[in-house]
Amino acid sequence: MRRIYLDHSATTPLDGRVLDAMLPFLTEKFGNASSVHSFGQEARAAVDKARRQVASLIGARANEIVFTSGGTESNNLAIRGICEANRSHGRHIITSAIEHPSVRGAIEHLEKQGWEVTRLSAYENGIVQAHDVRNSIRPETVLISVMLANNEIGTLQPISEIASIVREEKKRGRHLWFHTDAVQAVGRVPVDVETLGCDLLSMSAHKIYGPKGTGALYLRRGTRLFPQQVGGHQERERRAGTESVANIVGFGIAAGFARIEMNARNERTARLRDRFETAVKARIPDVVFNGDSERRLPHLSNISFRFIEGEGLLIHLDMHGVAVSTGSACSSGTLEPSPVIRALGRDEELARGAIRFSFGKDNVDADVDYAVEALSRAVESLRALSPLAPQAIEEPVSSP
Amino acid sequence: MSYSETFKDHLAHPRNGGELAGADAVAEETNPVCGDRLRLSLRISDGRIEAARFLAYGCPPTLACGSAMAEMVENMTIAEAANLTKDRIVEAVGGLPSRKQHAAALAFETLQKAISNIRSAEKLS
Repeated sequence: MRRIYLDHSATTPLDGRVLDAMLPFLTEKFGNASSVHSFGQEARAAVDKARRQVASLIGARANEIVFTSGGTESNNLAIRGICEANRSHGRHIITSAIEHPSVRGAIEHLEKQGWEVTRLSAYENGIVQAHDVRNSIRPETVLISVMLANNEIGTLQPISEIASIVREEKKRGRHLWFHTDAVQAVGRVPVDVETLGCDLLSMSAHKIYGPKGTGALYLRRGTRLFPQQVGGHQERERRAGTESVANIVGFGIAAGFARIEMNARNERTARLRDRFETAVKARIPDVVFNGDSERRLPHLSNISFRFIEGEGLLIHLDMHGVAVSTGSACSSGTLEPSPVIRALGRDEELARGAIRFSFGKDNVDADVDYAVEALSRAVESLRALSPLAPQAIEEPVSSP
Repeated sequence: MSYSETFKDHLAHPRNGGELAGADAVAEETNPVCGDRLRLSLRISDGRIEAARFLAYGCPPTLACGSAMAEMVENMTIAEAANLTKDRIVEAVGGLPSRKQHAAALAFETLQKAISNIRSAEKLS
């Protein structure tokens, strides 16, 4: 059976070139990067090179990159690290209503410790408005965390505008820091920390055809934070633990290709995504597209299918070899419709019926065509069974 | 969760999906916690369920349990259908993890409601 992967926002396959670069560091070049001898020096040089490659992808300096175990750790380090370092200056955080669970969770953790949180609306199009940030800033605000691109609907947030507001506040002597979760955006849209103006930025390797288990936090020079993982000197005292050299090397190579191939990849994935959406609009009635259609990532499409529930659609598609995801989950009998789709103002039925399709650099037209066909049939089958959809009534067969 | 072959079969080829005209009993139940919904219509003849059709909205276990239950009750007497347990429904879909048992409970409750509707109608006639 054909297997078609359309879930690139969940993770991406490891690029063959990345694997080739990693292998020596999983075999003969096994040194600990902190060791003084030549095995260590070899590993150290590899980590330093990867650091420069990752920094180049976002226009940062190499010493502004802290390697972590991934996006979740980077988000935790940024949020908890900044808040802990600044708690004498205030206890208020501003964030959006559509952040990734790792950002939401880190902030909720602080909320339980007495921090106050303002969660800004993303309105119906999934985009936060910068003036809402300005209006929410208080004397006791120390952190603003707003993602660059949303993981479910792909919408791009006004990071540069928010950064200018933060800059104005800083000029007045305020202790205010701006973090952006750029895990979904890096490698898909041009990201330059000078243009964006943020103080902290999270990245993850496995979203850009690199290995799982590695990411980075960009930390603008002069930004002080309390490390979350302590007991070692690595990453200039900002994140203890023996470096995952092979993973970091892989991240560096993946970052390099992401930078060089970004335009080509985007052209391709945008074309596939548009082909997909055009076909869905033509063939499947009663659908709602979630998120601004212009200001979003090029490779992603989030669609709600009326009258049916997302997981059922997912399983149907999976049975035909098509892999996608839903932000909704039915677990422990509790309703968990996608909080992001709900935040757009959609009702529960639409939130439960939302599916995310995310295209990658290796997808082809035939993948799109096959997926639309499978989707069309799955939607039809599920609607035929749904008490929410208009149904044909079966007439009784007259007995002989 | 990983689904058994039986389960996937009920999803791919649901039995008795739809609505009946001239149904003798119709019941629709919702799980208030997760919003799953099941609708059952039955046609009775000589104390037996001549035809059963179901409609379901919700997660895959709800769809599968609806299908399994509607398939099982066809040709049962009303008394037999009233004795159909939640566990037999779970068995019929090839098993369910504990956090998905609510789907079988919904199928069971919908069937019970339909039967109680039949019995009320019988009392009135």
